[in-house]
Amino acid sequence: MAPLLELSDVTVRFGGLTAVDQVSFRVEAGEICALIGPNGAGKSTLFNAIAGNAPIQSGRVLFRGDEIQQMTPHAISARGVRRTFQNGGLFGHLTVLENVLVGLHTKVDSGFFGVLAGARKSHRTEAGATRQARGLLALMELEHVADALATELSGGQQRMVEIVRALATDPPLLLLDEPAVGLAPPMRARLGDIIRRLAKERSVGIVLIEHAIELVMSISDRVVVLNYGRKVADAPPAEVRADRNVLEAYLGHG
Amino acid sequence: MLALLPQLIVSGIATGMLYALVALSMTVGYRATTVVNFGHGDLVMIGGYACFVLGVNLGLPFAPAFSIAAALLFAIGFLIQRLLMQPIIAGPHLSLAMMALAVGYAFRGAARLEWGNDILKLPHPYPTATFFVGGVVFTMDDLVISGFVLLLLLVLFLLFNATPIGKVIQAVFQSQRGAALVGINVRAFHGVMWGAGAALGAAGGVLLALIVPLTPDIGVWTLVRGFAAMTLGGFGSLPGAVIGGMILGIAEKVLGFYVSTVFIDITAYLVTILVLLIRPKGLFGQQATIRI
Amino acid sequence: MSGAARHAPVTAGARAASKLGRLFWLVPLLLLPVPLFLDQYQQYVANLVLVYVPVGVGFNVVVGNLGLLAFSNVAFFGIGAYTSGILMLKLGLPWWATVFPAGVMGGIAGSAASVPALRGVRLFYLAIMTLAFGELMRWVYIRWEPLTGGSFGMAVPTPSAFGWSLDAESHKFYAFLVLATAVIALTNRLLRSRFGRAFMAIRGNEEAAAAMGIPTDRYILLGFAWGGFAVGIAGSMYAALVGHLSPPSFDLSELILEFAIVMVGGLGSLLGSVVGAVVLTAAPEFFRDFPGFEELVFGVLIVAVILFLPRGLASLLARAHPALRDRYYRE
Repeated sequence: MAPLLELSDVTVRFGGLTAVDQVSFRVEAGEICALIGPNGAGKSTLFNAIAGNAPIQSGRVLFRGDEIQQMTPHAISARGVRRTFQNGGLFGHLTVLENVLVGLHTKVDSGFFGVLAGARKSHRTEAGATRQARGLLALMELEHVADALATELSGGQQRMVEIVRALATDPPLLLLDEPAVGLAPPMRARLGDIIRRLAKERSVGIVLIEHAIELVMSISDRVVVLNYGRKVADAPPAEVRADRNVLEAYLGHG
Repeated sequence: MLALLPQLIVSGIATGMLYALVALSMTVGYRATTVVNFGHGDLVMIGGYACFVLGVNLGLPFAPAFSIAAALLFAIGFLIQRLLMQPIIAGPHLSLAMMALAVGYAFRGAARLEWGNDILKLPHPYPTATFFVGGVVFTMDDLVISGFVLLLLLVLFLLFNATPIGKVIQAVFQSQRGAALVGINVRAFHGVMWGAGAALGAAGGVLLALIVPLTPDIGVWTLVRGFAAMTLGGFGSLPGAVIGGMILGIAEKVLGFYVSTVFIDITAYLVTILVLLIRPKGLFGQQATIRI
Repeated sequence: MSGAARHAPVTAGARAASKLGRLFWLVPLLLLPVPLFLDQYQQYVANLVLVYVPVGVGFNVVVGNLGLLAFSNVAFFGIGAYTSGILMLKLGLPWWATVFPAGVMGGIAGSAASVPALRGVRLFYLAIMTLAFGELMRWVYIRWEPLTGGSFGMAVPTPSAFGWSLDAESHKFYAFLVLATAVIALTNRLLRSRFGRAFMAIRGNEEAAAAMGIPTDRYILLGFAWGGFAVGIAGSMYAALVGHLSPPSFDLSELILEFAIVMVGGLGSLLGSVVGAVVLTAAPEFFRDFPGFEELVFGVLIVAVILFLPRGLASLLARAHPALRDRYYRE
């Protein structure tokens, strides 16, 4: 069976700058793969490339064996690749509940004319989605903020809501861009626990960009290290910790 | 038919110079604040009226009337930026656009209230005459407008490129944050640049009033042509504004004669739409579209 | 992750609003006796208010919900008006039969106006381009004389609906009341569905909206088309009301009025657009006899609102009673 996500020789250039240089790696279902490296190493660009937000000059991105590198971001998302954003991708004009409902967008199939006609089916679909969204928030113990505006939440809560929103459609692959940034240590541990359980209990494949190195080392199955757009290591955490290339990437030039 | 082409180009250049000046005046304020003044056309109009009041109603000679009008518009532009735009600068773009439109609208109303539908013409401070050079007619208006705008451009060019203050302005255009770091009062700078834009616009308004009757509605007419010139040259580019204005002026005349008179009126709209659809960055500008 | 669905407490505002929603249909009923109290001129102004309700509601979908700075609204209005006028004058159709086609033409114009936005043009560039589109349409009305009557304009025949002549202002009132109510109700349904949520998501963060599987281009097109449809219907009402269409009715001053309705009402608020239409349509009528005074007062009023009430009248409504807080109106 084809791996969940497979990158082969992916290269992303912006003008003369090669942000990602022939990077290949794989992620299997239920696996947590961390992407680390110094600032400017190309981690976020690589994320954008997978999600369809950055143009890929050469190489291929395969999701469950299908090439997705030419697809639009919404098509990639609809296939089951969901992401969160480094700078918080919540919709500030919407409530927490509505944010999660937007996450369910592809599952709410009420038609345009049905909506205009006020069709019973549209109401049922909408009510069902709302119930589901509230249920999802309840699982993360966020139901009490469901009707608050997204901008009214604390940073930690916003991160959690973004993860709930990304998970709303049960995606097989989740891309998390620095989910622990700005979180207090206890919250960070809880986040690690949640990510771990997503992978192990529900077989979600997870690619994780994270600077909190102890979190990365404690939850990842595999760590891919990027430096100057190139992959310099790809191994289990313990091996990466001992790798000379990695030390160089962080200490030598970093 | 083709024999008329040089004539069309000559008169197109004079109009184009005027457009260039208006576009340039809009670009100065835009470059400083990255906010487009949708009421700028009405400042141009007020500049024309101010010169009329000073010159005709108060009887001042042309040069002082012109200078005081420009100074007055500098103050108006400065105050608009500082008192009305700056407080909402962090707000939605819609508010900024609406604010500028509303200010222009109020000026238009004030002008209409005072001068109603009178058709005012600024008296020429120079004898009207026409010259023939190789079968092409040059009017004194053409020569004065072109000459004046060229002179102004030269002064601005020198100011921007050969004086310390010009270097500073260019530096701030490049990077606002950098400017704040080297100790420039960015807010005051914004106000001054809007003032400078309004003063330049006033110059355009005065020149315009020499060749067309002043009405409260010339502001809109001017705004649309300024936008077209800016878009064509590349939004935010100073040389682009000038060259865009020239091309627009010539294109209006040439298309208006050879294709249909309607092009005199619609070339500006077509240019704006087509350039933004086909080559959004215009001739010299930066990328105007986003990719998602 | 479809865990056990548990109902979290709904806020008081949302509950009150849903209760109030059921009372929505009472409002047009309460307005039914209005013509009894108005003279001919007042009735005309009331009708004009009803014309501008769908104008504000449609425009708000584009600028308030999608959050796009598009100035093409007057073009939709004019196209709707001329469509009705031309169909009545040239094809002899009764007015009621031209309302829907006018909406459709407005919707088509809306789709066309969305093209630059779909190509990635945003912010001031989009504003300037759509402004040019609107002004260009004015020249189409002027130059397409055989159809539009050119600069002199076009006399629109007396409107009629289903065999009834709407020759009295009070008759038009009822026809307009039905149409305005319908546009509000339909737009409300649209905004409260996944479509409206997608609009608001695009306004907030286009990249994140696409990452949720929302084909943003399609929704931008839809928002423009719906806005154009609503405003096109308003144009048809306008043609029936004024009886004479001429190009200057669709110039930049008209844009400022329409833009002000949305801004003063409250960006993104459906209720706000309605209130904005009521407040601002009536106001200029007071200054008719002083050319220029209207523009001056109006301009100053808008400046004051932006400075001192930046979220518009909707923010006052929301403060007055939680039930009046609009679904997508957020401070």
